[in-house]
Order: sequence, then C-alpha cells, then structure tokens
Amino acid sequence: MLKQYPTARYILHRGGWYFLTFLVAVTINFFLPRLGASNPVDIIMGKAGSGLDTEAAREKEESYLKEFGLVQVDATGTILRGPDGKPLKSSNVSQFFNYVKMCFQGDFGTSFQKYPKKVTTIIAEAVPWTLALQLPTIMFGWIVGNVLGALAAYRRGVFDRVFFPLALLLSAVPFFAFGMLLVYVCAIKNGWLPAMGGYAGDLVPGFNFDFFKSAGYHYILPFFSIFLILAGGQAIGMRSMGIYELGTDYIKYAKWLGIKENKILLYLFRNAMLPQLTGLALSLGGMIGGALITEMIFSYPGLGMAILSAIQGQDYPMIQGCTLLVTISVLIANFTVDILIGFLDPRVKAGQMGGN
Amino acid sequence: MMGMNKFGIPLAMMGLLFITGCNKENKPAGQEETKAGGFARSKTLYLGGSQWGDPNSFNPLTDWPAWPVNDKFNIMFETLLAYNTLTGKFEPLLGTLESQSADSVVVVLNPAAKWSDGQPVTSADVKFVYELGKRFKGAATAYAIDFVSDIKVSATADKAERLTFMVNKKGRNNPLVVLDFLQAIRILPAHIFEPKLAQLKDLAEVQKLKCDSNPVVSGPYNLETYSNEKIILKRRDDYWGNAALHGGKLAGPQFIIHPIYKSNDAFAIALAQNDLDATQTYIPRIWMKKNAGVMTWYDKEPYFVPGAVPTLLINSTRYPLSDKAFRRAMAFAIDYKSIKDLAVSGYSPDIKPGAIMPFGIEAGFYNDEDAQKYGAAFNVESAKKILADAGYKSVFKADGTLDKMIDGKGKPVPTLFVKSPAGWSDWEAIVTLAVKGMRAAGIDVREGFVDAGLYWQSQPVGDFDLEMIKPAASVTPSQPWSRLAALMSSRTWAPPGEKMNENQGRFNNPKGKGYIKAVDSLLSVIPTLTDKAALTQAYRQLNILFMQEQPALPLCYLPEQFYQVNTKTWTNWASEANPYAPPNLPWAGAATKMLWELKPAK
Repeated sequence: MLKQYPTARYILHRGGWYFLTFLVAVTINFFLPRLGASNPVDIIMGKAGSGLDTEAAREKEESYLKEFGLVQVDATGTILRGPDGKPLKSSNVSQFFNYVKMCFQGDFGTSFQKYPKKVTTIIAEAVPWTLALQLPTIMFGWIVGNVLGALAAYRRGVFDRVFFPLALLLSAVPFFAFGMLLVYVCAIKNGWLPAMGGYAGDLVPGFNFDFFKSAGYHYILPFFSIFLILAGGQAIGMRSMGIYELGTDYIKYAKWLGIKENKILLYLFRNAMLPQLTGLALSLGGMIGGALITEMIFSYPGLGMAILSAIQGQDYPMIQGCTLLVTISVLIANFTVDILIGFLDPRVKAGQMGGN
Repeated sequence: MMGMNKFGIPLAMMGLLFITGCNKENKPAGQEETKAGGFARSKTLYLGGSQWGDPNSFNPLTDWPAWPVNDKFNIMFETLLAYNTLTGKFEPLLGTLESQSADSVVVVLNPAAKWSDGQPVTSADVKFVYELGKRFKGAATAYAIDFVSDIKVSATADKAERLTFMVNKKGRNNPLVVLDFLQAIRILPAHIFEPKLAQLKDLAEVQKLKCDSNPVVSGPYNLETYSNEKIILKRRDDYWGNAALHGGKLAGPQFIIHPIYKSNDAFAIALAQNDLDATQTYIPRIWMKKNAGVMTWYDKEPYFVPGAVPTLLINSTRYPLSDKAFRRAMAFAIDYKSIKDLAVSGYSPDIKPGAIMPFGIEAGFYNDEDAQKYGAAFNVESAKKILADAGYKSVFKADGTLDKMIDGKGKPVPTLFVKSPAGWSDWEAIVTLAVKGMRAAGIDVREGFVDAGLYWQSQPVGDFDLEMIKPAASVTPSQPWSRLAALMSSRTWAPPGEKMNENQGRFNNPKGKGYIKAVDSLLSVIPTLTDKAALTQAYRQLNILFMQEQPALPLCYLPEQFYQVNTKTWTNWASEANPYAPPNLPWAGAATKMLWELKPAK
C-alpha cells in the first residue's frame, strides 16, 4: 500500500505509532496519580478541617468525597455505605470511563484544590504566559547557540578560544542559580529591572499599551535566565558535532573541490544539526510543562506552578488535564521533528521504510 | 577564512536584546508603571501572604474561597465581633458584646450596619449563616448547630436587635467555642443568598457560583478586580462603619492590592523594595531589612507576638512512646534554645514547660511554680537518668554517636521517626534540631520527612511515631483551652486507623488501663467556668497533667501571623510602642482598624 508514495507512507506509519503512544500515555496519566498512597481529600482536609472536631471533620470529608465523585452515590445523591458504615469508594474503572468521556467533550472537570474553577480555565489562563516565555526563549536559544557553535567549530582561532569556555561556563551553571544571580544583581542590588511578576503590581492584564510595555519590561530577566544557558548548551553540542563533521570525507572532498566556504558551512550545519533537532523537539515538547524554577524565582505566571501544586495536592482532574496537554505537545513536537528529520536526512526515511 | 561580518549578525542580535534590556536602567524598577494602572502607589496598600495560587472563588459559602473571603478576614464580609489578640477583648463590629454566661452569649446588632446595596444587616442574616447547617450538612458553618441551639431575637430600648446565642447544653455545651464563632463566622446577606438557594435548590450548586462581580458586602472594601497575579479591593466610601465606628473618617488606602507571588522569597524581596506594605510570610533574619524600612511588632527579639506552638505530637499507642518515662525523657533531651536561635531566627521567647503560654492573654493561667516542679526543661543528664531508671540502655558507637537502644527486657527499641512535610524548611530545621538533641541523650529518633500529602493523610489516623503539628494555631477566645483539647482530648477517641481530628497521638484511651478521667472532665468543664479563680485552678491542674504525662512536646512559640510592615509608603502602623491594634495584618480581627489610622508617608 502506498508503495509509490514513500513520503506519505512514512508519515502515516509514524503517525500510527504516535497515536498508539498517545492512548497508552492517556491511560497512564489517569492511573499514575491514583496509584500513590495519598488521597486528595485528606490533603484538602488538612486546611479545611483544622479547628473542627472529629465528627464535623468526618461529615466535611464525606461531602468532599461526594462532590469530587470519589464515592458511590445512589440516584437521590445519598452516599452508599459498606457494612462498617464507611462510604464505598467509586472504582477507578468507572472514574476512568468518566474521564475519557469528559475528555472527548473537551471538559477536564473541576479542580479539587481550586474548586469551583474548571481545569480548562486554569490551563487557558496559564498557557499563554508559559508559551510566551518558553517558545521564543527556546527557539532563540537554539538558533543562536547552534549558529555560534557551528561558527566556533569552523572558525576556531581566537573566537573559539574565547567563546568555548564562556559557553561551557554558561551551560554548566544551574539555571536556578543563574536566575537568582540575575535577580540579585539586576533587581535587588542595582534596581535596573523588576525582580518578579509578569507585569507591574498595579496593572490588570488587558490589551493596552501600558500592559504590554510592562510585560515586556518584566520579560527581560526571565528570558535571559533561560536563554543564555540554553544557548550555551546548544553551542557546545553544535561545536562538537561540527568538529566531528569537519573531519569527515565529504567536507574534505568539498574543500578539495574548491567549493565556496559558505556552501561547505551549510553542508556542515545540515549534518551536524540532526541530533540538535532531536534536542529541540524534546525542549519544545516539554515546554508546556512550564519553566517551574523560572516561575518560582521570578514569580512569573505560567503552568509550572499550577502543575506542581496539583501534584502535591493530588488534584486528579488538574493533573490529568495538564499531563494530557504535556503528552499531546511532546508527541506533536516529536512527530514534527520526526517528519522534518525524514526530509532533512533521507537516510532516516529510507531506513525506517526498510529502504530500497 | 570567513570575514568578521559573517558572525556579526547573531552577535548584533544578542547585543540588541541587551541594549533594549539595559536602556531603562536609570529608572528604578516598577516606578514608571505606577501611573499606568490607576492605582497610585500613595493611595494603595499592598498586602501579602494570605493568597497562594490562582483565586478560585469569592463565594463566602465555600470552604476555601480566595482572600479576603477566606480565613477570619473581615474587610469584605464582617463578623459580629472583632477579637483583639493582644488584649483578649472583644471589639464592636456588626454587633457589640453585651453579656456572656455559661448559658448564653448576648450580642446587640449595630442598627447602623448596612449591606452595600443599602439593605440593613439584620438578625435574619445572622440566623441564615448560623443555621445553614440545619438545612445543609455541607455548609461551611454546619458545625455551629452543635454549639448554638438557638438564636433568640429581642429588641433593646433603642430598638436595636438583641441576639441571644443559646449554648447548646445538650450538644457540646461549650460557650468558649460560641465566642470563637462570634469573631470568626462572617455574616452574609440572606436576601442575596436565599433566592439563589431557592433557585438552584442545593447548596452544592450555590457553592459553584464565583460571586466575583460586584458582590453585596458589609465591609469597608469590596472586590474591584482580580487576576491570577493579584486581587484588588476598592474602598467603599459609603461604608456604614465610617460613621458608626470610626468617627466619620474614611479608611486611609483607597485600594488594597494582594499580589500573588509564588515563593516566600518573592514576598521578602517585594517587602524590602517597598512593593509591598505588609506581609505575613516567614522571612528569616528580619532585622537585616530594617534599613529598607521594614518594621515588626517588637524592634528586637523575639520581633513577633507569640500565638502558636509548633509541637511534636507523640503516638502514645506505640512502644516505647506508650511509656510515660520515655516521653518525659524526650522532653528533657531537646535543646529548646538551639531551636529558637537556629531554626526560627530567634522569633520565639524562651519556652516554658507545659502547653500554656507564660505571657499575653494566657499568662493568667500559667503557673511558674508548677512548671519548675513538674515540667521538663533542657537537661541531658536528667533525660539520661530517667531513661536509665526506666531500664533503657543506650549503646553509643566509638565516635560518640548513638548506635541503638535496648529496653529493660534486653530487647532492642525500634528507631522512631518524626513525620514532617518535606520542603517546609522551617519545620525541617526544628525537627532536625530536636532529633539532634534526643539522639545525643541516647534516644533513637530520626527525621522522617515525607510528601505533604502523606503527612496530612497520616495525621487523623495516627500513622506516625512522632509528628510535627501546630495545635489550634489561631489566637481565639477559646485559647488555651482549644490547644489543650487538640493535644489531650479523648472525647472522640478512635483506635489508630480510624480518624480523629484532635489528640491524633491517641493519648489517654478511655477504655485503656490507666485512663486519666481528670483530663477529659477538666476539658469539658473549663469552657463552662465563669469564676476566674476556679478557671485558673482548672487550667493549672490540666497543665500539670500535661507536664506529668507529656502527650506531646511543645518546641517553641511562633506568632499567629508574621507581622512585617514597610513604613516607606504608609506609616503609623501598630507596634509595641503604639499598640492601638493587635499584631495582625489589617484585614484580620481587630487589626482591621489600622486601615483608618494609616497615614501616607511624607
């Protein structure tokens, strides 16, 4: 089938595998948080139950279990009880089918911890910030890092001797430490830039110039805290790949043929870039998960903190919604790069398809 | 070879970013934006630490709405009375305390009190909130009916409504908790919520409403707008209390903004940079921020007014913790001074034995002679002696560290673990120091930091050896009774595995051998005592029992809320030198009146 269209066949083949992976991931996303020993209502009771005596606390707990669909109820909404008087827990299987049904309706349910807020609302409010911070940072970091790395590999000399240790240093700095350093130097010590927040303390988000100006101003430190380190890491990888490629026969041959340097650099870049592309896919896929550490250091809006608190609070609907989103974005990013690599490196496509 | 211009482009690009980043460097952060949002810095009060994460709802009928509808904050919805945590006295708010006895508490509603839609605040509103539990078990205030059997309404001479809260004699018979309610339960507009209940038929459905658009409130501020990064309140210039309670004055700040940061550090930085006027978050070494204009209640140690007691709860059902001598030895082995100095930045006065605080409102119930006679203070030799007398033997390694313990029968004593949430750094430090002291005295204890979820889960079912808790951490009219009850009451005793919301260490099994009946009878009689001498005597007895039995290990004192303010934009904050309001942020209890006293800094 589709023998005469190898490209379409390749895409369909990969797509099929990705769909299977997606199904498995969705299932795992559902069951994993439920496998742990702790239970969301116990955590909520930690704050809602303080000061209550035992009986009041038990009643409160049961009303949560019912509200969150974690116990079985009859048609009139009364909690069904076992012989010992304790509420009967609803089974994971029935919860799972409910979850799948809701997913198809585009409804991830109501967050336990941020009740009565909808999971879709929480995600929709946070994702733009996460994307605005992560997408440009990752893309710029990747492009700048790779271009500089390739240049360093090709040019060597003074540029490389200065650039390489610098890149090595940057890539080795843990970015939370770098972020804190930036806050200390640029915000606390010298007051050049705001230390925290996505926009000024006296603004409300809206489509107006003041807001965007302020958001841009608050964007600078978080951006550089990720960008510089990412670019440094990429540059080192690219430089090593570049040096390796420089020693290969095709480059030597191209040089002997007297091909222009720019052309050779392009060959070099295209070949050395392949592993870097995979790295890019991973970064882009994980991007939705948010830059948790950056969010915490700069108190920057985004999804990272929401996911962390959901996991800490065993907020099942919130965990499910977020992990589903992360799953989809990782898969899409990987799928795109898979296809891209297929085009950039015909060997991959050929190899995948049993290549003749 | 390539020319320089070839890699000039990316460098120029990076340079451009740097330039755009730096060309504003002459302006201090945040300054230029102050005009932009319409919330002028000089008219806005920035408060922090009471809202973490996205605001979920402003519905006062839910269990954990967002600030300031949560907790006992009373600047949107108000309580009948405001409790002054410094003096222990009630101050008028929606009502005035007229009298209290063992049978009833009488409050007179302020006839001037009005909702923001112009309707008067009446007894119907009070009854609506207090009696909601009769109609809906899931109501946040449902527990009130166990304590208040009825609210009788009569008229005073000048036609105000007099509310008599009848203590539920057949229920819990506890007037102290009724007093707690009067300063904690916010009165809600029945004429707004009743139609909603009638329309949606179920409280659970009404609880799903967010009530975030122009809610009807009685307090001095109302919700202006909010996002996931901040909540903004606007002053109500027609607030009834301006004339009735504050001599016709308006509250100082026109706006109150609560920024929502993601870490304690962010609040600390913002406070020091004057982007926040006050925060209740934990900031270590607060004296380092004095130059930035940061002020606390006391200007030297302990900086804060103590209100809560971080305590190691002991599981009395587990061996060897079931042995009183073992528990007492633990209390002698802990170096409380090191906990105070190293774990909590010196924010605690020196601790005294027992579960009653030796100062402030509780001072009258504390007896120093008893503490000397029965209490355990840090003394390693005493700890070792008690252990040796009880037959325990500690085996130390050659390097002086503890190897193991053997009991009187020659059997090894199991290693005990202190359960505490991982990542709560101040608690981790407290636990580490307590463990260090006990190990040095030869007691085989280790830190057991666990995921917060597992921690909360283990607590009611008693699944721990020792566990860090803050028993009844709010300063309320029922202290120190509520703390003692939280540590010792076996009224709802249940075996480990079943849930208890008080005395989770299962001290004093009522069906067990050696049950001390006096503990529970004192706990049930104290709330009904009105005679000061009898009350002091009862507390004294209970505290002696606590010291003799040591069902838990109080470790230090910390404030109910950290009261940390910056004086650069607003001045005249209450403090030790000027104690016109209690040491809470101006949104809780009687501290709210600070809003009318704050003055813009010149």
